[in-house]
Amino acid sequence: MTAPVAIRCEDLGKRFDDAWVLRGVDLEVRRGEVLGVIGPGGHGKSVLLKCLAGLLTPDAGRVLVDGEDLARLGPLGLARVREQYGYVFQNYALFDFMSVRDNVAFPLRQQAHLPDAEIDARVAARLAEVGLAHALDLLPRELSGGMKKRVGLARATVGDPAIALYDDPSAGLDPVTSSKIFQLIARMHARRPDAATVVVSHDVDRMRAICDRYVMLERGRVVFVGAESALGDAPEVVAAFFGGAERAPTGGG
Amino acid sequence: MNGALEATLRAVGGPLVAVGRHVFDIYSVFAQVVTALLKGAVRWREVFRQAYLIGNRSLFFITVTLGFLGLISVYQVASQIQRILPDFTMMGPAFIQLMWREFAPTITGLMVATRVGSGIAAEIGSMVVTEQVDALRMCNADPVRYLIVPRTIASAVMLVMLTIYAVLVATLAGMALADVVFDVSPSTFVSLQLVSPRDVALGLVKAFSYGFWIPIVAGQAGLAASGGSAGVGWATTRAVVSSSFAVILLDFIISGIGYAVFNL
Ligand SMILES: Nc1ncnc2c1ncn2[C@@H]1O[C@H](COP(=O)(O)OP(=O)(O)OP(=O)(O)O)[C@@H](O)[C@H]1O
Ligand SMILES: [Mg+2]
Repeated sequence: MTAPVAIRCEDLGKRFDDAWVLRGVDLEVRRGEVLGVIGPGGHGKSVLLKCLAGLLTPDAGRVLVDGEDLARLGPLGLARVREQYGYVFQNYALFDFMSVRDNVAFPLRQQAHLPDAEIDARVAARLAEVGLAHALDLLPRELSGGMKKRVGLARATVGDPAIALYDDPSAGLDPVTSSKIFQLIARMHARRPDAATVVVSHDVDRMRAICDRYVMLERGRVVFVGAESALGDAPEVVAAFFGGAERAPTGGG
Repeated sequence: MNGALEATLRAVGGPLVAVGRHVFDIYSVFAQVVTALLKGAVRWREVFRQAYLIGNRSLFFITVTLGFLGLISVYQVASQIQRILPDFTMMGPAFIQLMWREFAPTITGLMVATRVGSGIAAEIGSMVVTEQVDALRMCNADPVRYLIVPRTIASAVMLVMLTIYAVLVATLAGMALADVVFDVSPSTFVSLQLVSPRDVALGLVKAFSYGFWIPIVAGQAGLAASGGSAGVGWATTRAVVSSSFAVILLDFIISGIGYAVFNL
Protein backbone atom coordinates (compact mmCIF):
# COMPACT_ATOMS: atom_id res chain seq x y z
CA MET A 1 0.00 0.00 0.00
CA THR A 2 3.01 2.31 0.15
CA ALA A 3 3.83 2.68 -3.51
CA PRO A 4 6.30 5.48 -4.23
CA VAL A 5 4.86 8.97 -4.62
CA ALA A 6 5.08 10.22 -8.21
CA ILE A 7 3.69 13.72 -7.68
CA ARG A 8 3.33 15.63 -4.46
CA CYS A 9 1.73 19.05 -4.05
CA GLU A 10 2.63 21.01 -0.96
CA ASP A 11 0.43 23.93 -0.02
CA LEU A 12 -0.03 24.58 -3.72
CA GLY A 13 -1.64 27.92 -4.62
CA LYS A 14 -2.31 29.50 -8.01
CA ARG A 15 -3.88 32.83 -8.78
CA PHE A 16 -4.86 34.75 -11.89
CA ASP A 17 -4.57 38.48 -11.23
CA ASP A 18 -5.99 38.76 -7.73
CA ALA A 19 -8.25 35.73 -7.76
CA TRP A 20 -6.86 32.62 -6.10
CA VAL A 21 -7.96 29.64 -8.16
CA LEU A 22 -6.12 27.05 -6.06
CA ARG A 23 -5.37 27.48 -2.37
CA GLY A 24 -3.43 25.30 0.05
CA VAL A 25 -3.70 22.13 -2.00
CA ASP A 26 -1.83 19.21 -0.41
CA LEU A 27 -1.94 16.11 -2.51
CA GLU A 28 -0.07 12.96 -3.41
CA VAL A 29 -0.34 10.84 -6.52
CA ARG A 30 1.26 7.43 -6.05
CA ARG A 31 2.71 5.14 -8.65
CA GLY A 32 0.19 2.55 -9.70
CA GLU A 33 -2.89 4.41 -8.56
CA VAL A 34 -5.68 6.10 -10.47
CA LEU A 35 -6.69 9.30 -8.75
CA GLY A 36 -10.02 10.85 -9.68
CA VAL A 37 -10.40 14.63 -9.46
CA ILE A 38 -13.94 15.88 -9.13
CA GLY A 39 -15.60 19.15 -8.34
CA PRO A 40 -17.93 21.75 -9.78
CA GLY A 41 -17.07 23.43 -13.08
CA GLY A 42 -14.66 26.33 -12.84
CA HIS A 43 -13.33 25.41 -9.40
CA GLY A 44 -9.76 24.71 -10.47
CA LYS A 45 -9.49 21.11 -11.70
CA SER A 46 -7.85 21.94 -15.02
CA VAL A 47 -5.58 24.49 -13.36
CA LEU A 48 -4.51 21.80 -10.87
CA LEU A 49 -3.67 19.41 -13.69
CA LYS A 50 -1.61 22.08 -15.46
CA CYS A 51 0.29 22.74 -12.26
CA LEU A 52 0.99 19.01 -11.91
CA ALA A 53 2.46 19.06 -15.42
CA GLY A 54 4.51 22.22 -14.88
CA LEU A 55 2.51 24.10 -17.52
CA LEU A 56 1.50 26.67 -14.89
CA THR A 57 3.90 27.85 -12.21
CA PRO A 58 2.49 27.90 -8.69
CA ASP A 59 2.12 31.25 -6.92
CA ALA A 60 2.40 29.50 -3.58
CA GLY A 61 3.74 26.16 -2.42
CA ARG A 62 5.35 23.70 -4.77
CA VAL A 63 4.87 20.64 -6.95
CA LEU A 64 7.37 17.81 -6.58
CA VAL A 65 7.76 15.07 -9.16
CA ASP A 66 9.87 12.20 -7.84
CA GLY A 67 10.94 14.58 -5.12
CA GLU A 68 12.10 17.34 -7.51
CA ASP A 69 10.52 20.78 -7.38
CA LEU A 70 9.25 21.53 -10.90
CA ALA A 71 9.74 25.26 -10.45
CA ARG A 72 13.46 24.81 -9.76
CA LEU A 73 14.25 22.34 -12.50
CA GLY A 74 15.20 24.56 -15.41
CA PRO A 75 14.41 23.70 -19.02
CA LEU A 76 16.54 20.57 -19.29
CA GLY A 77 15.35 19.08 -16.03
CA LEU A 78 11.77 19.89 -16.91
CA ALA A 79 12.20 18.22 -20.31
CA ARG A 80 13.55 15.11 -18.62
CA VAL A 81 10.62 15.00 -16.19
CA ARG A 82 8.10 15.58 -18.98
CA GLU A 83 9.25 12.53 -20.87
CA GLN A 84 7.29 10.64 -18.24
CA TYR A 85 4.07 12.50 -18.93
CA GLY A 86 1.07 11.95 -21.11
CA TYR A 87 -1.55 14.70 -21.04
CA VAL A 88 -5.08 14.59 -22.51
CA PHE A 89 -6.27 18.16 -22.75
CA GLN A 90 -9.83 19.17 -21.99
CA ASN A 91 -10.24 20.81 -25.40
CA TYR A 92 -8.33 18.15 -27.37
CA ALA A 93 -5.43 20.50 -28.24
CA LEU A 94 -4.72 18.49 -31.39
CA PHE A 95 -2.15 20.15 -33.68
CA ASP A 96 -4.50 21.45 -36.32
CA PHE A 97 -1.82 21.64 -39.03
CA MET A 98 -0.99 17.93 -38.76
CA SER A 99 -2.82 14.78 -39.77
CA VAL A 100 -4.11 12.38 -37.13
CA ARG A 101 -1.15 10.12 -37.83
CA ASP A 102 1.38 12.92 -37.31
CA ASN A 103 -0.38 14.12 -34.17
CA VAL A 104 -0.04 10.72 -32.57
CA ALA A 105 3.49 10.21 -33.85
CA PHE A 106 4.59 13.61 -32.55
CA PRO A 107 5.56 12.68 -28.98
CA LEU A 108 7.48 9.65 -30.23
CA ARG A 109 9.32 11.70 -32.84
CA GLN A 110 10.18 14.36 -30.26
CA GLN A 111 11.32 12.09 -27.47
CA ALA A 112 11.78 8.47 -28.27
CA HIS A 113 14.42 8.47 -31.05
CA LEU A 114 12.90 5.38 -32.62
CA PRO A 115 13.28 4.33 -36.24
CA ASP A 116 10.50 5.65 -38.49
CA ALA A 117 9.09 2.21 -39.24
CA GLU A 118 8.76 1.48 -35.54
CA ILE A 119 7.01 4.80 -34.95
CA ASP A 120 4.59 4.17 -37.83
CA ALA A 121 3.78 0.72 -36.50
CA ARG A 122 3.15 1.97 -32.98
CA VAL A 123 1.00 4.84 -34.17
CA ALA A 124 -1.09 2.59 -36.38
CA ALA A 125 -1.53 0.07 -33.57
CA ARG A 126 -2.53 2.71 -31.04
CA LEU A 127 -5.00 4.34 -33.42
CA ALA A 128 -6.52 0.97 -34.21
CA GLU A 129 -6.90 0.40 -30.50
CA VAL A 130 -8.94 3.59 -30.10
CA GLY A 131 -10.98 2.62 -33.16
CA LEU A 132 -9.55 5.17 -35.57
CA ALA A 133 -7.57 2.98 -37.95
CA HIS A 134 -9.53 4.52 -40.82
CA ALA A 135 -8.79 8.11 -39.82
CA LEU A 136 -5.00 8.11 -40.10
CA ASP A 137 -4.80 10.72 -42.82
CA LEU A 138 -7.61 13.01 -41.74
CA LEU A 139 -6.96 16.46 -40.32
CA PRO A 140 -8.30 17.37 -36.88
CA ARG A 141 -10.93 19.70 -38.37
CA GLU A 142 -12.45 16.72 -40.18
CA LEU A 143 -13.09 14.81 -36.93
CA SER A 144 -16.06 14.74 -34.58
CA GLY A 145 -15.63 15.66 -30.93
CA GLY A 146 -15.46 12.06 -29.82
CA MET A 147 -12.90 11.22 -32.48
CA LYS A 148 -10.77 14.18 -31.41
CA LYS A 149 -10.89 12.99 -27.82
CA ARG A 150 -9.73 9.54 -28.89
CA VAL A 151 -6.90 11.00 -30.98
CA GLY A 152 -5.88 13.11 -27.97
CA LEU A 153 -5.94 9.96 -25.87
CA ALA A 154 -3.86 8.07 -28.40
CA ARG A 155 -1.33 10.91 -28.61
CA ALA A 156 -1.00 11.18 -24.84
CA THR A 157 -0.55 7.46 -24.27
CA VAL A 158 1.37 6.33 -27.33
CA GLY A 159 4.61 6.34 -25.35
CA ASP A 160 3.04 4.43 -22.43
CA PRO A 161 3.72 7.31 -20.04
CA ALA A 162 4.60 6.77 -16.39
CA ILE A 163 2.38 9.70 -15.42
CA ALA A 164 -0.91 10.06 -17.29
CA LEU A 165 -3.17 13.08 -16.85
CA TYR A 166 -6.67 13.03 -18.34
CA ASP A 167 -8.64 16.27 -18.28
CA ASP A 168 -12.33 15.51 -18.64
CA PRO A 169 -11.83 12.79 -21.26
CA SER A 170 -15.54 12.12 -21.74
CA ALA A 171 -16.92 15.66 -21.67
CA GLY A 172 -19.70 16.22 -24.15
CA LEU A 173 -19.69 12.67 -25.46
CA ASP A 174 -22.55 10.23 -25.82
CA PRO A 175 -22.77 7.45 -23.19
CA VAL A 176 -21.43 4.74 -25.47
CA THR A 177 -18.38 6.74 -26.48
CA SER A 178 -17.85 7.82 -22.86
CA SER A 179 -17.79 4.21 -21.71
CA LYS A 180 -15.36 3.38 -24.46
CA ILE A 181 -13.07 6.21 -23.39
CA PHE A 182 -13.05 5.02 -19.78
CA GLN A 183 -12.37 1.45 -20.94
CA LEU A 184 -9.42 2.77 -22.90
CA ILE A 185 -8.08 4.59 -19.86
CA ALA A 186 -8.38 1.38 -17.87
CA ARG A 187 -6.57 -0.51 -20.59
CA MET A 188 -3.74 2.05 -20.74
CA HIS A 189 -3.39 1.75 -17.00
CA ALA A 190 -3.36 -2.03 -17.15
CA ARG A 191 -0.61 -1.89 -19.73
CA ARG A 192 1.56 0.19 -17.44
CA PRO A 193 0.48 -0.79 -13.91
CA ASP A 194 3.17 1.32 -12.25
CA ALA A 195 1.83 4.48 -13.89
CA ALA A 196 0.42 7.30 -11.81
CA THR A 197 -2.86 8.30 -13.41
CA VAL A 198 -5.00 11.34 -12.69
CA VAL A 199 -8.48 11.57 -14.23
CA VAL A 200 -10.53 14.74 -14.02
CA SER A 201 -14.17 14.08 -14.76
CA HIS A 202 -17.76 14.81 -13.85
CA ASP A 203 -18.72 11.27 -14.69
CA VAL A 204 -18.61 9.81 -11.18
CA ASP A 205 -20.36 6.60 -12.16
CA ARG A 206 -17.80 5.71 -14.78
CA MET A 207 -14.92 6.88 -12.59
CA ARG A 208 -15.94 4.26 -10.00
CA ALA A 209 -14.76 1.55 -12.36
CA ILE A 210 -11.21 2.84 -12.55
CA CYS A 211 -10.39 5.23 -9.69
CA ASP A 212 -8.69 4.08 -6.50
CA ARG A 213 -8.99 7.40 -4.70
CA TYR A 214 -10.67 10.73 -5.23
CA VAL A 215 -9.89 14.37 -4.64
CA MET A 216 -12.68 16.87 -4.60
CA LEU A 217 -11.93 20.52 -5.25
CA GLU A 218 -14.27 23.29 -4.28
CA ARG A 219 -13.34 26.92 -4.84
CA GLY A 220 -9.76 25.82 -5.28
CA ARG A 221 -9.55 23.99 -1.96
CA VAL A 222 -9.40 20.28 -1.35
CA VAL A 223 -12.59 19.34 0.48
CA PHE A 224 -12.11 15.60 0.30
CA VAL A 225 -9.32 13.11 -0.37
CA GLY A 226 -9.74 9.38 -0.09
CA ALA A 227 -11.43 6.29 -1.36
CA GLU A 228 -15.18 6.21 -1.80
CA SER A 229 -15.42 4.00 1.28
CA ALA A 230 -14.20 6.98 3.33
CA LEU A 231 -17.13 9.10 2.19
CA GLY A 232 -18.88 8.62 5.50
CA ASP A 233 -16.67 11.23 7.15
CA ALA A 234 -16.80 13.60 4.21
CA PRO A 235 -18.70 16.89 4.17
CA GLU A 236 -22.17 16.78 2.72
CA VAL A 237 -21.24 18.48 -0.59
CA VAL A 238 -18.92 15.61 -1.36
CA ALA A 239 -21.49 12.95 -0.66
CA ALA A 240 -23.93 14.91 -2.79
CA PHE A 241 -21.47 14.91 -5.63
CA PHE A 242 -21.11 11.17 -5.48
CA GLY A 243 -24.81 10.67 -5.03
CA GLY A 244 -25.54 12.40 -8.31
CA ALA A 245 -27.90 15.19 -9.14
CA GLU A 246 -31.03 13.64 -7.72
CA ARG A 247 -29.82 13.84 -4.15
CA ALA A 248 -28.59 17.37 -3.96
CA PRO A 249 -27.48 19.96 -6.47
CA THR A 250 -24.00 21.47 -6.22
CA GLY A 251 -23.37 25.05 -7.26
CA GLY A 252 -21.52 25.48 -10.53
CA GLY A 253 -18.77 27.87 -11.65
CA MET B 1 -0.89 67.05 -3.06
CA ASN B 2 0.61 63.70 -2.33
CA GLY B 3 -2.35 61.98 -3.92
CA ALA B 4 -1.96 64.03 -7.08
CA LEU B 5 1.73 63.18 -7.25
CA GLU B 6 1.02 59.54 -6.79
CA ALA B 7 -1.70 59.62 -9.44
CA THR B 8 0.69 61.32 -11.87
CA LEU B 9 3.46 58.82 -11.18
CA ARG B 10 1.01 56.02 -11.62
CA ALA B 11 -0.31 57.44 -14.89
CA VAL B 12 3.21 57.86 -16.29
CA GLY B 13 4.76 54.83 -14.63
CA GLY B 14 2.11 52.26 -15.49
CA PRO B 15 2.51 52.47 -19.26
CA LEU B 16 6.29 52.72 -18.88
CA VAL B 17 6.40 49.54 -16.85
CA ALA B 18 4.14 47.86 -19.41
CA VAL B 19 6.40 48.92 -22.29
CA GLY B 20 9.46 47.80 -20.33
CA ARG B 21 7.96 44.38 -19.70
CA HIS B 22 6.94 44.09 -23.35
CA VAL B 23 10.47 44.91 -24.52
CA PHE B 24 11.90 42.44 -22.02
CA ASP B 25 9.54 39.68 -23.24
CA ILE B 26 10.56 40.32 -26.85
CA TYR B 27 14.22 40.30 -25.85
CA SER B 28 13.74 36.98 -24.08
CA VAL B 29 12.24 35.41 -27.22
CA PHE B 30 15.16 36.86 -29.20
CA ALA B 31 17.63 35.26 -26.78
CA GLN B 32 15.90 31.89 -27.10
CA VAL B 33 15.95 32.14 -30.90
CA VAL B 34 19.66 32.93 -30.92
CA THR B 35 20.36 30.05 -28.52
CA ALA B 36 18.45 27.64 -30.73
CA LEU B 37 20.27 28.89 -33.83
CA LEU B 38 23.65 28.45 -32.13
CA LYS B 39 22.71 24.91 -31.19
CA GLY B 40 21.75 24.31 -34.80
CA ALA B 41 18.37 22.84 -33.96
CA VAL B 42 16.51 23.99 -37.05
CA ARG B 43 13.67 22.26 -38.90
CA TRP B 44 14.76 23.04 -42.45
CA ARG B 45 11.67 21.66 -44.14
CA GLU B 46 9.55 24.02 -42.10
CA VAL B 47 11.92 26.87 -43.02
CA PHE B 48 11.29 26.21 -46.72
CA ARG B 49 7.55 25.92 -46.21
CA GLN B 50 7.48 29.22 -44.32
CA ALA B 51 9.70 30.91 -46.91
CA TYR B 52 7.26 29.88 -49.61
CA LEU B 53 4.29 31.16 -47.60
CA ILE B 54 5.99 34.48 -46.84
CA GLY B 55 6.91 35.02 -50.49
CA ASN B 56 3.46 34.03 -51.60
CA ARG B 57 1.73 36.34 -49.16
CA SER B 58 3.93 39.34 -49.97
CA LEU B 59 4.77 39.26 -53.66
CA PHE B 60 1.61 40.85 -55.01
CA PHE B 61 1.50 43.59 -52.39
CA ILE B 62 5.15 44.45 -52.89
CA THR B 63 4.74 44.60 -56.66
CA VAL B 64 1.81 47.00 -56.38
CA THR B 65 3.21 49.15 -53.58
CA LEU B 66 6.74 49.50 -54.89
CA GLY B 67 5.43 50.00 -58.43
CA PHE B 68 3.34 52.94 -57.29
CA LEU B 69 6.16 54.24 -55.10
CA GLY B 70 8.43 54.24 -58.14
CA LEU B 71 5.88 56.06 -60.27
CA ILE B 72 4.99 58.67 -57.67
CA SER B 73 8.49 59.50 -56.48
CA VAL B 74 9.90 59.83 -59.98
CA TYR B 75 6.97 62.00 -60.99
CA GLN B 76 7.40 64.30 -57.98
CA VAL B 77 11.15 64.64 -58.28
CA ALA B 78 11.11 65.04 -62.05
CA SER B 79 8.48 67.81 -61.81
CA GLN B 80 10.74 69.75 -59.46
CA ILE B 81 13.83 69.19 -61.57
CA GLN B 82 11.96 70.30 -64.67
CA ARG B 83 11.20 73.67 -63.06
CA ILE B 84 14.65 74.36 -61.59
CA LEU B 85 17.36 72.74 -63.68
CA PRO B 86 16.04 70.77 -66.59
CA ASP B 87 18.81 68.18 -66.40
CA PHE B 88 17.58 64.68 -65.69
CA THR B 89 20.87 62.81 -65.92
CA MET B 90 21.36 62.30 -62.19
CA MET B 91 17.73 61.57 -61.39
CA GLY B 92 17.78 57.85 -62.18
CA PRO B 93 21.04 57.10 -60.35
CA ALA B 94 19.93 59.05 -57.26
CA PHE B 95 16.57 57.30 -57.35
CA ILE B 96 18.15 53.86 -57.53
CA GLN B 97 20.55 54.70 -54.73
CA LEU B 98 17.71 55.90 -52.50
CA MET B 99 15.72 52.76 -53.30
CA TRP B 100 18.58 50.51 -52.27
CA ARG B 101 19.49 52.37 -49.13
CA GLU B 102 16.09 53.18 -47.78
CA PHE B 103 12.80 52.72 -49.55
CA ALA B 104 12.96 49.20 -50.93
CA PRO B 105 14.01 47.50 -47.67
CA THR B 106 11.89 49.64 -45.37
CA ILE B 107 8.66 49.66 -47.37
CA THR B 108 9.06 45.92 -47.99
CA GLY B 109 9.76 45.47 -44.28
CA LEU B 110 6.60 47.35 -43.36
CA MET B 111 4.56 45.28 -45.81
CA VAL B 112 5.93 42.04 -44.39
CA ALA B 113 5.42 43.33 -40.83
CA THR B 114 1.71 43.84 -41.44
CA ARG B 115 1.00 40.99 -43.78
CA VAL B 116 3.24 38.27 -42.37
CA GLY B 117 3.49 39.55 -38.78
CA SER B 118 -0.27 39.47 -38.37
CA GLY B 119 -0.41 35.95 -39.79
CA ILE B 120 2.27 34.69 -37.41
CA ALA B 121 0.59 36.25 -34.37
CA ALA B 122 -2.82 34.89 -35.34
CA GLU B 123 -1.48 31.41 -35.97
CA ILE B 124 0.58 31.16 -32.78
CA GLY B 125 -2.04 33.01 -30.72
CA SER B 126 -4.77 30.57 -31.70
CA MET B 127 -2.44 27.69 -30.89
CA VAL B 128 -2.00 29.20 -27.43
CA VAL B 129 -5.69 29.63 -26.68
CA THR B 130 -6.52 26.13 -27.96
CA GLU B 131 -3.78 24.68 -25.70
CA GLN B 132 -1.76 23.41 -28.68
CA VAL B 133 1.26 25.26 -27.34
CA ASP B 134 0.80 23.49 -24.00
CA ALA B 135 0.61 20.21 -25.92
CA LEU B 136 3.88 21.08 -27.68
CA ARG B 137 5.48 21.74 -24.30
CA MET B 138 4.25 18.41 -22.96
CA CYS B 139 5.95 16.70 -25.91
CA ASN B 140 9.16 18.61 -25.13
CA ALA B 141 8.86 20.67 -28.29
CA ASP B 142 9.87 24.16 -27.20
CA PRO B 143 7.38 26.60 -28.80
CA VAL B 144 10.01 29.22 -29.60
CA ARG B 145 12.31 26.71 -31.19
CA TYR B 146 9.52 24.84 -32.89
CA LEU B 147 7.37 27.73 -34.14
CA ILE B 148 9.39 30.93 -34.19
CA VAL B 149 12.91 29.84 -35.21
CA PRO B 150 11.92 28.53 -38.67
CA ARG B 151 9.93 31.68 -39.30
CA THR B 152 12.84 33.99 -38.41
CA ILE B 153 15.19 32.27 -40.85
CA ALA B 154 12.58 32.11 -43.60
CA SER B 155 11.53 35.69 -43.15
CA ALA B 156 15.10 37.07 -42.98
CA VAL B 157 16.07 35.30 -46.20
CA MET B 158 12.82 36.14 -47.96
CA LEU B 159 12.98 39.80 -46.99
CA VAL B 160 16.42 40.05 -48.60
CA MET B 161 15.08 38.50 -51.80
CA LEU B 162 11.91 40.57 -51.74
CA THR B 163 13.98 43.73 -51.27
CA ILE B 164 16.04 42.97 -54.37
CA TYR B 165 12.80 42.34 -56.22
CA ALA B 166 11.36 45.57 -54.81
CA VAL B 167 14.29 47.60 -56.15
CA LEU B 168 13.72 46.04 -59.55
CA VAL B 169 10.01 46.78 -59.59
CA ALA B 170 10.41 50.36 -58.40
CA THR B 171 13.22 51.02 -60.87
CA LEU B 172 11.23 49.61 -63.78
CA ALA B 173 8.18 51.65 -62.83
CA GLY B 174 10.24 54.82 -62.36
CA MET B 175 12.07 54.21 -65.60
CA ALA B 176 8.85 53.78 -67.54
CA LEU B 177 7.35 56.96 -66.12
CA ALA B 178 10.53 58.97 -66.72
CA ASP B 179 10.57 57.76 -70.31
CA VAL B 180 6.89 58.37 -71.10
CA VAL B 181 6.24 61.62 -69.21
CA PHE B 182 9.64 63.35 -69.08
CA ASP B 183 11.31 61.83 -72.11
CA VAL B 184 14.27 60.48 -70.12
CA SER B 185 15.68 57.48 -71.96
CA PRO B 186 15.91 54.20 -70.03
CA SER B 187 19.64 54.07 -70.60
CA THR B 188 20.04 57.46 -68.87
CA PHE B 189 17.68 56.50 -66.04
CA VAL B 190 19.05 53.08 -65.27
CA SER B 191 22.60 53.83 -64.27
CA LEU B 192 24.42 52.48 -61.28
CA GLN B 193 27.00 55.23 -61.11
CA LEU B 194 25.81 56.43 -57.69
CA VAL B 195 25.19 52.97 -56.25
CA SER B 196 28.16 51.61 -54.37
CA PRO B 197 28.39 48.10 -52.92
CA ARG B 198 28.06 49.78 -49.53
CA ASP B 199 24.63 51.13 -50.44
CA VAL B 200 23.52 47.67 -51.49
CA ALA B 201 25.01 46.18 -48.34
CA LEU B 202 23.25 48.75 -46.15
CA GLY B 203 19.90 47.97 -47.79
CA LEU B 204 20.34 44.24 -47.50
CA VAL B 205 21.49 44.41 -43.88
CA LYS B 206 18.34 46.39 -43.13
CA ALA B 207 16.19 43.85 -44.96
CA PHE B 208 17.80 40.93 -43.17
CA SER B 209 17.38 42.54 -39.75
CA TYR B 210 13.73 43.44 -40.35
CA GLY B 211 13.08 39.92 -41.55
CA PHE B 212 14.78 38.42 -38.53
CA TRP B 213 12.96 40.55 -35.98
CA ILE B 214 9.43 40.56 -37.40
CA PRO B 215 8.69 36.89 -36.47
CA ILE B 216 10.25 37.44 -33.04
CA VAL B 217 8.07 40.45 -32.27
CA ALA B 218 4.95 38.94 -33.85
CA GLY B 219 5.58 35.50 -32.40
CA GLN B 220 5.99 36.93 -28.92
CA ALA B 221 2.65 38.71 -29.32
CA GLY B 222 1.09 35.39 -30.32
CA LEU B 223 2.63 33.48 -27.41
CA ALA B 224 1.35 36.14 -25.01
CA ALA B 225 -2.24 35.76 -26.28
CA SER B 226 -4.81 34.73 -23.72
CA GLY B 227 -8.52 34.37 -23.38
CA GLY B 228 -10.11 33.01 -26.55
CA SER B 229 -10.63 34.61 -29.95
CA ALA B 230 -10.69 38.13 -28.54
CA GLY B 231 -7.20 37.49 -27.18
CA VAL B 232 -6.03 36.34 -30.60
CA GLY B 233 -7.44 39.47 -32.23
CA TRP B 234 -5.71 41.64 -29.70
CA ALA B 235 -2.44 39.77 -30.16
CA THR B 236 -2.68 40.23 -33.93
CA THR B 237 -3.17 43.97 -33.62
CA ARG B 238 -0.31 44.21 -31.19
CA ALA B 239 1.91 42.22 -33.51
CA VAL B 240 1.26 44.56 -36.44
CA VAL B 241 1.84 47.70 -34.38
CA SER B 242 4.95 46.39 -32.64
CA SER B 243 6.58 44.84 -35.67
CA SER B 244 5.98 47.93 -37.82
CA PHE B 245 7.47 49.99 -35.04
CA ALA B 246 10.39 47.57 -34.84
CA VAL B 247 11.04 48.09 -38.58
CA ILE B 248 11.15 51.87 -38.17
CA LEU B 249 13.34 51.61 -35.08
CA LEU B 250 15.76 49.22 -36.79
CA ASP B 251 15.88 51.51 -39.81
CA PHE B 252 16.88 54.36 -37.52
CA ILE B 253 19.45 52.29 -35.63
CA ILE B 254 21.06 50.70 -38.69
CA SER B 255 21.13 53.99 -40.63
CA GLY B 256 22.65 55.67 -37.58
CA ILE B 257 25.32 53.02 -37.13
CA GLY B 258 25.97 53.00 -40.87
CA TYR B 259 26.50 56.75 -40.83
CA ALA B 260 28.48 57.01 -37.60
CA VAL B 261 30.69 53.94 -37.89
CA PHE B 262 30.97 53.13 -41.57
CA ASN B 263 30.41 56.62 -42.92
CA LEU B 264 27.74 55.32 -45.27
N1 LIG C 1 -5.30 31.21 -18.06
C1 LIG C 1 -6.24 31.67 -17.19
N2 LIG C 1 -6.32 32.99 -16.95
C2 LIG C 1 -7.23 33.47 -16.08
N3 LIG C 1 -8.10 32.72 -15.40
C3 LIG C 1 -8.06 31.40 -15.58
C4 LIG C 1 -7.13 30.81 -16.48
N4 LIG C 1 -7.32 29.46 -16.47
C5 LIG C 1 -8.32 29.24 -15.60
N5 LIG C 1 -8.77 30.39 -15.05
C6 LIG C 1 -9.83 30.52 -14.06
O1 LIG C 1 -9.59 29.57 -13.06
C7 LIG C 1 -10.79 29.01 -12.62
C8 LIG C 1 -10.70 27.51 -12.62
O2 LIG C 1 -10.65 27.06 -13.95
P1 LIG C 1 -10.50 25.55 -14.36
O3 LIG C 1 -10.34 25.53 -15.83
O4 LIG C 1 -9.46 24.92 -13.54
O5 LIG C 1 -11.92 24.95 -13.96
P2 LIG C 1 -12.37 23.45 -14.02
O6 LIG C 1 -12.57 23.00 -12.64
O7 LIG C 1 -11.44 22.68 -14.87
O8 LIG C 1 -13.79 23.57 -14.74
P3 LIG C 1 -14.48 22.58 -15.79
O9 LIG C 1 -15.00 21.44 -15.03
O10 LIG C 1 -15.55 23.39 -16.39
O11 LIG C 1 -13.42 22.19 -16.76
C9 LIG C 1 -11.90 29.57 -13.48
O12 LIG C 1 -12.57 30.55 -12.74
C10 LIG C 1 -11.18 30.17 -14.63
O13 LIG C 1 -11.84 31.33 -15.05
MG1 LIG D 1 -11.47 21.98 -16.75
